[in-house]
Amino acid sequence: MLVLHSFWWLLCALTVAAKTHTFYFNATYVNASPDGTIERRMVGINNKWPIPTIRVKKNDRVKIHFTNLLNENSSLHFHGLFQEGTNAMDGPDMVTQCPVAPGTTFLFDFEVKDQAGTYWYHSHSGAQYSDGLRGLFIVEDDVPLAVDYDEEVTLTVSDFYHDVSGVLVKNFMSRYNPTGAEPIPQNALFNETRNASWVVEPNKTYLLRIANMGIFTSQYLFIENHNFTIIEADGVYVEPREVDSLYLASAQRYSVLVHTKDTVDKNFRFVNILDQDMLDFLPEDLEVISTNWMVYNKKNPLPKPLKNDNIGTTFQDLLKRLNPVDDFYLVPLSKEKLLPDADVVINLDFTMEPLGDGVTYAAFNGISYVPPKVPTLMSVFSSGKYADNSQIYGSNTNSFVIQPNEVVDIVLNNMDPGKHPFHLHGHTFQIISRSPEGQDEENPIKFDPSNSNHTDYPEYPMIRDTVQVHPNGFFVIRFKANNPGVWFFHCHVDWHLEQGLAITLIESPFEIQKQEIIQNHYDSCNRTNIPSYGNAAANYGETKEAWLNLEGENLQVAPLPEGFTQKGYIALVLCTIIAIYGIFSIYKYGMEDVTSEDTEAMIAKLYDILRKNGDTVGNEYHDEAEEPLT
Amino acid sequence: MANNVFNVQVFFVVFRESLEAVIVVSVLLAFLKQGLGGSADDPVIYKKLVKQVWWGACLGVLICLIIGGAFIGAFYGLGKDIWGKSEDLWEGIFCIIAAVLISVMGIPMLRINKMKEKWRVKLAQALVKKPSNRKDRFKVGYISKRYALFILPFITCLREGLEAVVFVGGVGLSQPATSFPLPVVCGLIAGIIVGVLLYFFGSSLSLQIFLIISTCILYLISAGLFSRGVWFFENYKYGKQTGGDASEGGSGPGTYDISKSVWHVNCCNPEIDHGWDVFNALFGWQNSATYGSVISYNIYWIVIILILVLMWYEEKTGHLPLTKNLTLRSLNPMYHIKGKKKLELTPEEKQRLFEEVKNQKRTSGTYEEVSSDDKQITDEAKKTSI
Repeated sequence: MLVLHSFWWLLCALTVAAKTHTFYFNATYVNASPDGTIERRMVGINNKWPIPTIRVKKNDRVKIHFTNLLNENSSLHFHGLFQEGTNAMDGPDMVTQCPVAPGTTFLFDFEVKDQAGTYWYHSHSGAQYSDGLRGLFIVEDDVPLAVDYDEEVTLTVSDFYHDVSGVLVKNFMSRYNPTGAEPIPQNALFNETRNASWVVEPNKTYLLRIANMGIFTSQYLFIENHNFTIIEADGVYVEPREVDSLYLASAQRYSVLVHTKDTVDKNFRFVNILDQDMLDFLPEDLEVISTNWMVYNKKNPLPKPLKNDNIGTTFQDLLKRLNPVDDFYLVPLSKEKLLPDADVVINLDFTMEPLGDGVTYAAFNGISYVPPKVPTLMSVFSSGKYADNSQIYGSNTNSFVIQPNEVVDIVLNNMDPGKHPFHLHGHTFQIISRSPEGQDEENPIKFDPSNSNHTDYPEYPMIRDTVQVHPNGFFVIRFKANNPGVWFFHCHVDWHLEQGLAITLIESPFEIQKQEIIQNHYDSCNRTNIPSYGNAAANYGETKEAWLNLEGENLQVAPLPEGFTQKGYIALVLCTIIAIYGIFSIYKYGMEDVTSEDTEAMIAKLYDILRKNGDTVGNEYHDEAEEPLT
Repeated sequence: MANNVFNVQVFFVVFRESLEAVIVVSVLLAFLKQGLGGSADDPVIYKKLVKQVWWGACLGVLICLIIGGAFIGAFYGLGKDIWGKSEDLWEGIFCIIAAVLISVMGIPMLRINKMKEKWRVKLAQALVKKPSNRKDRFKVGYISKRYALFILPFITCLREGLEAVVFVGGVGLSQPATSFPLPVVCGLIAGIIVGVLLYFFGSSLSLQIFLIISTCILYLISAGLFSRGVWFFENYKYGKQTGGDASEGGSGPGTYDISKSVWHVNCCNPEIDHGWDVFNALFGWQNSATYGSVISYNIYWIVIILILVLMWYEEKTGHLPLTKNLTLRSLNPMYHIKGKKKLELTPEEKQRLFEEVKNQKRTSGTYEEVSSDDKQITDEAKKTSI
């Protein structure tokens, strides 16, 4: 009897036990025309684009056999997943792994623990995910949501470019783009298409899982005559908040409830708008405002699409009507209290400036992130007892070592007049302080610990994994180092990541060493001839000095020369010498005129005098002198 | 260049042209002094003829100023906004034109005596030339003979002056209109002073030194202009490649092409910093020099030096080095087309010409006095002249 009972319970347990999802994803090129204008090459999976949505339950295991069938490197990062105990599966190139070379199969194998909500996955190689390698990753909770809803619908928004990411990066990181102006998208996509219709039934509550999978621009979202109730942000449940519109920076997600009306006599516009303020200039053909529809009744006419007035009046008008919530003031449902004072404060001053090759780079504290020669995680594994010395991770990688369970504050001062969404891998964090927009580049608002306005931290701060900083302002985020791993912290505007706007956190290095890097990952490094052993310069040895020796590491471009260089001095001296010689020639030539004329006159005069005084020599000369000498 | 008050190139062009005009006047006055037109015998006639010369010259210059002013004013009035996006390209073109013009007119200034000589011959030929058409003898010929000493300087000054207007236009059009009046006036005054000095003191050493110094400054400016022209072309190209937002950014990084830069300092920008535009005008200084601007500066000077050497060699030996037959004049294609070779006079021919001038006018004077004895006197003149 007991055996039967236990067998029964075991069976029950098994049915609710964690499932393993296995995927075989081949990254392939697909030609598609998402915006209905031109056809372009996209990066899809298994010859299909858009790529599949991954949907798992909390505590499930995910195995993805990722094969790169493109002509370029690729990778996959699971945005927002903690990768507890499996740091090697996080995805960013040269941080936790080598890039996946064409023809290689890379295995991602991890469990989704301690989290549920709306996440997404995307390529972490260059700006490749703007070519389409991005999709939703939804983790369903094991307990029902606290709110009631009838149906779940997913929605992704993104900016869209007609050009391939390689071309965009090349033109962007060039000395012919001295102001560092980011490439301007052509329009925006709504569920990877445009002019979409969402058919709804009356009097129903829909759960909308929304993600901004764009590579650059933030977006506004609203439905005419309908409100959203926010219940989740970046995988963190929040106290429900009703708003008339949403603002999503790149990589942010929201889950919202939308309750449909009782009547079916009208259809409504569902509008997504690119944040025009982030764009350096507005080309004629740019479509900032995209209209889609919430359709109650297909037979009824659809309202006309909103005008796209690129002078900006329509954008500004719309903005005046919208009131998206400031996500700083959302409150997590968990009511997690403000973490205690920080053990470690990482101060990051963010600036942009051109370096010696004429290209504008982004820097934290003057250092622009340059990938090391060995993926940082592999440096952790190979360095043994030196793993907690941040020097071995490179002098140009903005590396910080954090000890287990330390409370860490990251203070980010934005001395750039742009909006930037920053994302921390492996964690969610508390947003404890954020300044409003600063006046201008000359007077940014910097975090001042003695200023009580800056340090007035909320009791229950908002928690999420991607947060936007205002132009010329700052933010302070706080988290506990309870997840050993090498975690990347960077701007999610991919153009800025290319410019080096990133830092590397090495959290609990000795704990990391207890994890594992599977052989498949080392094989992938061998295929690309990238060393997987050693410090950031791929140096190693028996002694501490050998490990601290960074000779040969990758460094950022030298700064622009200040003032005259050697060749400048040489050129200036050469010009001066030749000008002096030129003037001398003019002088010589000019004096010729004088000497000949003057001498003639002088000679004639002399002979005259002689003649007058009776000299016969003068007589001869006088006769000759009748003929003018020329 | 942000010089709003004094356009240096215009000054030098006007200076040179007014100097030539004054030389014309001084040559004619010299002829008169030597007895042209019976002036040696009769002081009244002398005074009359002198007045004619002065009237002719001044009127010629005045009309030129009026025409020039109208031309420049109209051009500026119609608006200069045709530059627009190609502003750098236009500036570059104007700079190169200015450099070439200045270079061409600069060297003859070092041979003032040659200039004087040239004018003596030209004016003498004009005076002895008989009108070809027999009919005209009676109408235009009468007037032209009577007022020859008015018409000659008038036409010469008018022609020289219009030349100056064209040069000024080419040289100065890229500059604001307010930078024109002052250098024109200064150029006129300076040219007149130098010409007067020339007349009274001949070609003395100190005058020559003055001319040399002014020519040196002229060529420094011209070298700078040439270099600037090339710099503007490179700036235009960079502007096109970056979409035009580069040089608006001032002097800092990102406003120039690092791959073409020879030196760059963030200060001392002639386009926006005060004082450095003068440095730019005089020496072609750029705060952001390119290979093009530096190399073109050196090439310009090398060419000038070469030309000077060739001219000096030709003066010494009568021909260009390595070839016995060529002279610099013969390298000009117009020389052969216009058949100028035939017009060159040997020293003997020149002497004969001057004698002819002296004698002819001595007997013909003004028709008022000798009209009755016209034929007889001209016959006599033919006998006495060689």
